[in-house]
Amino acid sequence: MGLFSSPPAALGASAIRNIEAAKNLRDGVSRRGFLQASAVGAAFAASMHQLDILQSPVFAEELKKQQKHVILIWLAGGASQLETWDPKPGRATGGPFAAIQTSTPGVSISELMPKMAQRMQHTAIIRSLNTKNADHGGAAKILETGRAVDQGIPCPDLGAMIAHELGRADSQVPDYVSMYSSTEGRRQGGSGFLGGRYAPMFLTEQMIPENTSRLETLSDLDHSARGDLRAFLANKFRSGRPDLSVDSHNSAYQRVRGIMSSASLFDIEQESLAMRAKYGPTQFGEQCLVARRLVEAGVPFVKIARAWWDSHGQNFETHLELVTELDHVLATLIDDLADRGLLEHTLIATFGEFGRTPQINSSLGRDHFASAWSASLHGAGILGGSVHGKTDADGQKVIEGEVRASDLFATIFQAIGIDYRKEYHVGARPVPITDFGGQPIRGILA
Amino acid sequence: MSQTLRFMIAAVYGLLLFSGKVGYAAEMPAVDLPIPTAIDRLLADSHERMRIVPARRADDRTLLRRTTLDLAGRIPTPQEIVVYEQDSASERQSRLVDRLLAATDYAWHLRNELDAMLLSGGNSPQEWKEYLLQTSRANQPWDETFKDLITPNQEDQSKRGASHFLKSRVNDLDDLTNDTSSLLFGVSINCAKCHDHPLVEDWKQDHYYGLQAFFARTYQTKSQRLAEKPPAELTFKTTAGVEKPSRLMFLTGATVEEPADPRTDDQKKADLEEVRLQREKDDQAPPVEPAFNPRAELVRLALQPENRTFMARSIINRTWARLMGRGLVHPVDQMHSGNPSNHPELIDWLERDFIGHGFDVKRLIRGIVLSDAYARSSQWLYAEPQPSPDDFAVALVRPLTPNQLASSLLVGTSSPDRFQKAFDSGGWDELREQLEKQAAGTAKLFEYPGENFQVSVTEALLFNNAQRIENDYLRISQDRLAGYMQESLRPHDSGEQAGDGEIDAMIKTAFDVVFARHAQEDELQAFRHYFQDRGDRSPAAVQQMLWAMITSPEFRFNY
Repeated sequence: MGLFSSPPAALGASAIRNIEAAKNLRDGVSRRGFLQASAVGAAFAASMHQLDILQSPVFAEELKKQQKHVILIWLAGGASQLETWDPKPGRATGGPFAAIQTSTPGVSISELMPKMAQRMQHTAIIRSLNTKNADHGGAAKILETGRAVDQGIPCPDLGAMIAHELGRADSQVPDYVSMYSSTEGRRQGGSGFLGGRYAPMFLTEQMIPENTSRLETLSDLDHSARGDLRAFLANKFRSGRPDLSVDSHNSAYQRVRGIMSSASLFDIEQESLAMRAKYGPTQFGEQCLVARRLVEAGVPFVKIARAWWDSHGQNFETHLELVTELDHVLATLIDDLADRGLLEHTLIATFGEFGRTPQINSSLGRDHFASAWSASLHGAGILGGSVHGKTDADGQKVIEGEVRASDLFATIFQAIGIDYRKEYHVGARPVPITDFGGQPIRGILA
Repeated sequence: MSQTLRFMIAAVYGLLLFSGKVGYAAEMPAVDLPIPTAIDRLLADSHERMRIVPARRADDRTLLRRTTLDLAGRIPTPQEIVVYEQDSASERQSRLVDRLLAATDYAWHLRNELDAMLLSGGNSPQEWKEYLLQTSRANQPWDETFKDLITPNQEDQSKRGASHFLKSRVNDLDDLTNDTSSLLFGVSINCAKCHDHPLVEDWKQDHYYGLQAFFARTYQTKSQRLAEKPPAELTFKTTAGVEKPSRLMFLTGATVEEPADPRTDDQKKADLEEVRLQREKDDQAPPVEPAFNPRAELVRLALQPENRTFMARSIINRTWARLMGRGLVHPVDQMHSGNPSNHPELIDWLERDFIGHGFDVKRLIRGIVLSDAYARSSQWLYAEPQPSPDDFAVALVRPLTPNQLASSLLVGTSSPDRFQKAFDSGGWDELREQLEKQAAGTAKLFEYPGENFQVSVTEALLFNNAQRIENDYLRISQDRLAGYMQESLRPHDSGEQAGDGEIDAMIKTAFDVVFARHAQEDELQAFRHYFQDRGDRSPAAVQQMLWAMITSPEFRFNY
């Protein structure tokens, strides 16, 4: 339905034209109309016509299946590599927990992760991160952006870059959702020089994003019709003003109704009790279930921050609780994605800003440690059962295959088919998507 | 003189003569020209060379809105439209500009802009904002503001606020170096930290570490005072891995020699202990000012006649960019030899004028907004391809800043009566301050527009569905425009339909207040039908029409 519930008889020709144009603007075909009107538009319009295949339902469904996704589980505060992916049982630094064999012969992980031990075929482990900075803020910035040195310009985080590479301009779903419910170490991240279009939809207190449901005082019909009236004004304004910021304003408003209708993706009540039971009753579990729903609907990047791993005291109690939960939820997420045929298109990554010291302090804690720690990758594009890098017997330093943040990012890009050598341009300055020198870790890629 | 040198001079001379004939080295206009005349003459030269016919002048209402947004930080009130149109057409713009520059609004808006430029705005300390407000009100010369920022006098209550420029960055020496360089000198030299600048021959690592050396001793005491650590040898590592001492060096390569350190080892130890105490305890007496203060040396160097071009051109270019949508040098932090301006004579002329008139920012602003270049239409409706933004031949569309948007939302959705009293009998100053405070909270919800700004879907969702938009701007109440519009149809509450004439009058009022322009025929039709279709829910229809207006790009942008 258009702007009016019934076509008014006395509508002037120019008003009708403008309203048609407004409808088109809302329907997202204004670009074609605009180009056809211009002298050079004809050739371009023809090539746009070929793109109409994108509108076909079969093709769209196919495209959606091929779409890649990343779920980043951010272990805020810094998880211990020794209680997860790089155990050192029997050493002075090893702590009380044992190591267990995994489904891949020769690979052991902490006994706190029995479920993940059975899912090594979907897992690649990196045990040799050396990111040098062991201060929460500075380190988080490095592991969020993949850049070790301040670039003098605001740089996009991983989610924004992936949203930029994989998001579709006319997408009806958000392309970067970030959940951070606890307040410890909360950081919003951001899209830096890529611009507000790629900023995260950021969920903190609530599980449902803000302002995605209509006020009750307004009917759905009026909500939509006033949008048409707005588009009518917008279309008039745009004439003779081909400005990208103005376009971004219009496309933000065009995306509103789609985003609103996708708000139900955040509602886990719509999942069966059996499914919810699988993920468990914890907030982290529920957020991972939401992440699966989002990915299934086509969202390219979801980040879930699980806090707070900063165990300067009582490291082992903290990790007994947090690793056990991580093991369960991560395993469930992997199984669920695999059951739905989504795992081969979805990469899950787990890491935080750094790891924890091998030496155990007097409060039975482990402190910040950035020179030899671990990350894990699961699902799309990785070689299951692979392990990259080695630390020494006590886990004090990397002795083989040192990995920087830029290498980790290059690996993630490569795994989901993004060219890690791509360059952005900020004015005249080239800024590579992967920080200078970053190389994918070939050995753990499929 | 050697043979070779003689030859080279002859060759260069020959080239100059040659280019004088076919090239277009524009002549520098006279010193005593009014700024707008110089701007327009130099841009006209450039347009002629490039065979560009600039866009026509914007219509008066558009210019009123644009100028008010730029000088008062908000859209005009209905009363201001009336006053504007009472002036003769030829004097409208100059009288408007003089009114706005004299009004209380000017300092509020300039304060917000300086805050955004120097401290990224948002949550800056009250003391800092107070300082900026005072300097904006007094039109403090820019060289003095520059001095306050780098060497704030913490004993002077009225200057202390300036210290937050350094304090907010004091924990990160790279931020101190980069931000000072980029915000106050117009050159981003951070690339030269790890290697000589890849694109600009001017910047070597020595420059980066040279500038950094001026800030290397600055620290903050526990009692929140800026202080200087005692002298210490500073070094940096070159790309070749060589350890090099960093000297106090300005961007031009000019250096300062520090007097020899006469302290005994015991004194040095005591000084270090003093720094430790100052950092850890807040009950210490204020630290003693050092005899040699590197930051004071930086100010001295940067203001010397042969060096002050950096700080002068940076603020000129940033002011131009703020008012024209793009710098004469673009980007504004890349004012170096590798990135020349398209209008080199113009920026030279403005620099000479600015320095010659005591670094007077208000005078510069006045000159720019009175130029024809500022007054051009933002619409390009001609057969020729649209000129590049660097040509300033068509006005650029600029997103409103968070404060401009928040203040304009309040003004543009107020009942036209709301400002009448303040207008008739004084009291605007008070009302304006209230407006500023009311707008501050909403302003935090928006992003400050940088280069290639994009509106986020979060903003669109906010306007679509947040209760506060409905409450703050669309409320049907006596002081809001929605209430006023609804009231204008009141005789028809009893069931009788309002006539076309009354509906049109209501719509026209809305366009006047929200967009500061007349409604066009097709708009009247569209809005009238929208309203008539919702005859059973007239208040809601009014709110929806207003909503469509405040969410349109015409409201969101300065055009």
